[in-house]
Amino acid sequence: MGKGRQRLATIALLACALVCSESAAQAGPAVGQAPVDVVVWHAYRGQEEAALRQVARAFEAENPDVRVRLVAQPFGAYASKLESAIPTGNGPDLFIDAHDRIESFASRGLLQPITPPDAEAFARRLDGRHQAAFTALGALHGYPLSVKTAALYVNASLAPDPIESFEDLEALALPDGVFPLAMEAESAYWTAGFFAAHGASLLNDEHGWGLEGEGALTALRRLSRWVESRVVPEESSGDLVKRLFSEGQAAAAISGPWLAPDLPEALDWRVQPLPVVASTGARMRPYATVEGAYLAARSAQPAAANRFAAFLTFGEGALLRARVARQIVTDREAWPALEGDAFLQRFREAADDAAVMPTHPHMRMIFGPADRAIRKVLRGTATPEDALEEGRHRFDDVTRPLPAPRSPAWGLAALGLLTLLGALAMVRRLREPAFRGALRKSMPAYRYVAHAAVAVGLLVILPLVVGGLTSFFAGRGLEEMYFVGVANYVDILVARGGDLLGHGSFWLVLAVTVLWTVLNVALHLVIGVFLALLLHRPYLRMKALYRVLLILPWAVPNYVTALAWKGMFHRQFGAVNALLTSLGAEPVSWFSHWTTAFSANVATNVWLGFPFMMVVTLGALTSIPKDVYEAAAVDGANAWQRFRLITAPMLVPFLAPAVAMGSVWTFNMFNVVFLVSGGEPDGSTEILVSEAYRWAFTRGNQYGYAAAYAVLIFLILLVSTRVASKAAEADA
Amino acid sequence: MASLTLRSVRKQLGPNEILRGIDLEVEDGELVVLVGPSGCGKSTLLRTIAGLEIPDSGAVHIGERDVTRLAPRERDVAMVFQSYALYPHLTVRDNLAFGLKLRGEKPDVIAARVDEVARMLGLEALLDRYPRQMSGGQRQRVAMGRAIARRPKLFLFDEPLSNLDAALRAEVRVEIKKLHRELGATMVYVTHDQVEAMTLADRLVVLRTGEVEQVGPPLEVYGQPASRFVASFMGSPAMNFVPARGEADAVKAEGLTLPVRGAPEGEVLVGIRPHDVLERDGGPIAMDVEVVEAMGFEAYAHGKVGAVPFVARLEGDRAGAVKVGDRIALDVAPGAVHLFDAETQRALR
Repeated sequence: MGKGRQRLATIALLACALVCSESAAQAGPAVGQAPVDVVVWHAYRGQEEAALRQVARAFEAENPDVRVRLVAQPFGAYASKLESAIPTGNGPDLFIDAHDRIESFASRGLLQPITPPDAEAFARRLDGRHQAAFTALGALHGYPLSVKTAALYVNASLAPDPIESFEDLEALALPDGVFPLAMEAESAYWTAGFFAAHGASLLNDEHGWGLEGEGALTALRRLSRWVESRVVPEESSGDLVKRLFSEGQAAAAISGPWLAPDLPEALDWRVQPLPVVASTGARMRPYATVEGAYLAARSAQPAAANRFAAFLTFGEGALLRARVARQIVTDREAWPALEGDAFLQRFREAADDAAVMPTHPHMRMIFGPADRAIRKVLRGTATPEDALEEGRHRFDDVTRPLPAPRSPAWGLAALGLLTLLGALAMVRRLREPAFRGALRKSMPAYRYVAHAAVAVGLLVILPLVVGGLTSFFAGRGLEEMYFVGVANYVDILVARGGDLLGHGSFWLVLAVTVLWTVLNVALHLVIGVFLALLLHRPYLRMKALYRVLLILPWAVPNYVTALAWKGMFHRQFGAVNALLTSLGAEPVSWFSHWTTAFSANVATNVWLGFPFMMVVTLGALTSIPKDVYEAAAVDGANAWQRFRLITAPMLVPFLAPAVAMGSVWTFNMFNVVFLVSGGEPDGSTEILVSEAYRWAFTRGNQYGYAAAYAVLIFLILLVSTRVASKAAEADA
Repeated sequence: MASLTLRSVRKQLGPNEILRGIDLEVEDGELVVLVGPSGCGKSTLLRTIAGLEIPDSGAVHIGERDVTRLAPRERDVAMVFQSYALYPHLTVRDNLAFGLKLRGEKPDVIAARVDEVARMLGLEALLDRYPRQMSGGQRQRVAMGRAIARRPKLFLFDEPLSNLDAALRAEVRVEIKKLHRELGATMVYVTHDQVEAMTLADRLVVLRTGEVEQVGPPLEVYGQPASRFVASFMGSPAMNFVPARGEADAVKAEGLTLPVRGAPEGEVLVGIRPHDVLERDGGPIAMDVEVVEAMGFEAYAHGKVGAVPFVARLEGDRAGAVKVGDRIALDVAPGAVHLFDAETQRALR
């Protein structure tokens, strides 16, 4: 009796404890409990990061139940990190990014819709356009925080009067060498507003190529004339704009709010709205990007994250961001408090004038072709008509309709047939008693290699098969892939219906790749063998030191080397041009001509590749007996004949596999091409593997198309190495 | 063909003086063998003649020409290496033709010469093989053929037989002798094997630590060694040496009293070859036998004369009769007794 009651009491207690802990977990942290963590990812630096930190502290002071953990991410890899971390549950609760990627984020399920704590205030305090920018798939997906756009910075001592129009700028009387305007004239992003003032836009209403017609041509001709008459600097970058304006070398500059903190104290400057184009009477209308806070899918603390996002957007959060980070905040009710701040007011006006960047996926794909078209005209290598026509062609090329879906029946039938044939062949083999016996005998050996086979299978074979299968699919991004049969291959091999040797055609890129490979491997071989012969001389002193120095380029990670060489080939600051000018030669713009850009790539890769051949040759040389050389010397051979008749033929068996390997590495030397020339000029120095990368990652995520490229690369290398080794066997 | 003259050739390698002033004349058509133990400088001397080493001082003349500072290819010599040094990536035919091609001979001349050499050395069936597909003996032949095909002024052989087994070595030795006669060529041949040296040489040059110890026809060197070193190096088993005292027409030591006319007074070294003693009762040499080696047609008794080790050749049938522990009496012809200065070790007569 006593025992039974005791047991009942225990169960009751346990149940009570369970219920209590459950309800405690649901109720959220009560007073005295540990606060929940809200993880926030951002790519801010400097003042913007400081402002964010202050907002977080202020929020924590008001909300002791929440701790905000800020994680700064590198800007370059931000999107891809989000894309890989969020679906696996390793992402943030909240992240800050520009609005123009919202479509792709939302369609990939990286976001969750938000419900503002105070919906009425949200609608009242935010601009409709900014709310719209964060609407995707019919729902609100983020809090707009601030607007980034351009305004005109004016050097007050060079241009004391207000600048109303571009004509005013051109008419400024300036000292020699001072540019009226510093802007990135070669960039479609920075000139979009100028085109808009001429009645042209990058994307038309159907999201197609919009740079056409008289307006676009006029704008382009004017830009070109400005560069020629040094109204704006040539080949300028963001850094150059900053430098020219800071040093008083430009009377005005078109830039964003982020330029202000970098300007020197002594400079007397002001900000004003962008100028008007006198001929059309329209003001330059640049794009505006709205930065916002997104609530990540699979967030562990959506409620707390939502509260912090709202705090960041409105009131104190907005004011801190405006005052500390000089952000053009979206909260309308924050502005009365910022009344006296002329800088922010001017930028707010500019933001109101600006066009919010469309979120259509084509928007991101237009910059590449448009940049190229503008650059060609400004560098005088094409007429505006031709350049725009080519730009349209290129844009159509990357946005061309994907191949029509095919019934996978044929593909499945082929796969089934192959599997069947394979199975039949296997069964036939298994029925041979000799084979079965051999298999039984080698079972222990298979056990020993099993783990290696599994590793190779998972790391090499499986990705190969997946890549191969991907090449039969099409789609933009991974989600909406569908079967298209061999359409990708057909497209590639017929150069997407264009000129077979035209720009960006597989065949042209293949020709460049073959030339690249042959030239590199030949130079690797010649330099490597030459240095090995020098190092092999018996009387050379400090041999070990030279050997280490010469192997060094190989030991340094190749992307580091590639970046170093890219720096050395820089037109203004590079060591190569410094050397040339010190010798009295003209500086070379390395990446604006095919020959020089290709040479820069080759120089970098030769630097990276010769140590391998040298090491192989050094090893091979030690295996040639000394007395064979002596016999040749006595037989009448001079040094060159000894090399040609003895050394070279005896090195061949060692160097043949090294050359085969080197060729494969060079054929696929993505890092050098991507980091040094980056395909410049005009994509003409791309090799197959970097071209495949572009299709996969910068031309609308056409993974299937890129996979087909990869399969073709694989087949080319497979066939050519097989042919080469057969030829070598026939030789021997 | 040509003669060869070396004048006070000196060569130092690192801290070691390898050649200490070598003088040598080799006549046109002569086969001279350089012999000596390892480290005596014979290979370095040969390489100096080939031009693979340049002497620190002295002169090398081939014929009338001073070649001291010339590169190997300008000397018109051919060399057969100990390792053969065949070109591994070339067929036998191309190995034979290599030197001719370098000299720019016409293809038909080269082909004829290669065929001739192949016939001479029995290499016809091997012409299309690579060195790795041949036996050691065959490679050795190709190495010789390569030298012959060139028709050089001077042939140099650097221990060419040392990588062959004993039977093959004897065979090739005879062949080299025959070739020398047929070609009438000037040859310098290096070996440490005294049998090769004795059988091949027109003239022997015995080298010791970088100096010429004795030069002469093989039998003269064997019969009248100029020093204890030469005496002990030439002949197998080696000569016996017994320290003795010279007194009025005799040399005496414990267990040994030999009449020697005009023997010098004082300490001498008596040298007697094992082959020169005869077993004879009452002979002047008393030897205590310790070991007997029976070879069939002859036998060797190892033992002591006094306290000095001594070897004696016996007739083959005596092998069974002489027992370990026996004391045997030996005699020696007066002409077969060699006397050496105890101090300088040079021959006294």
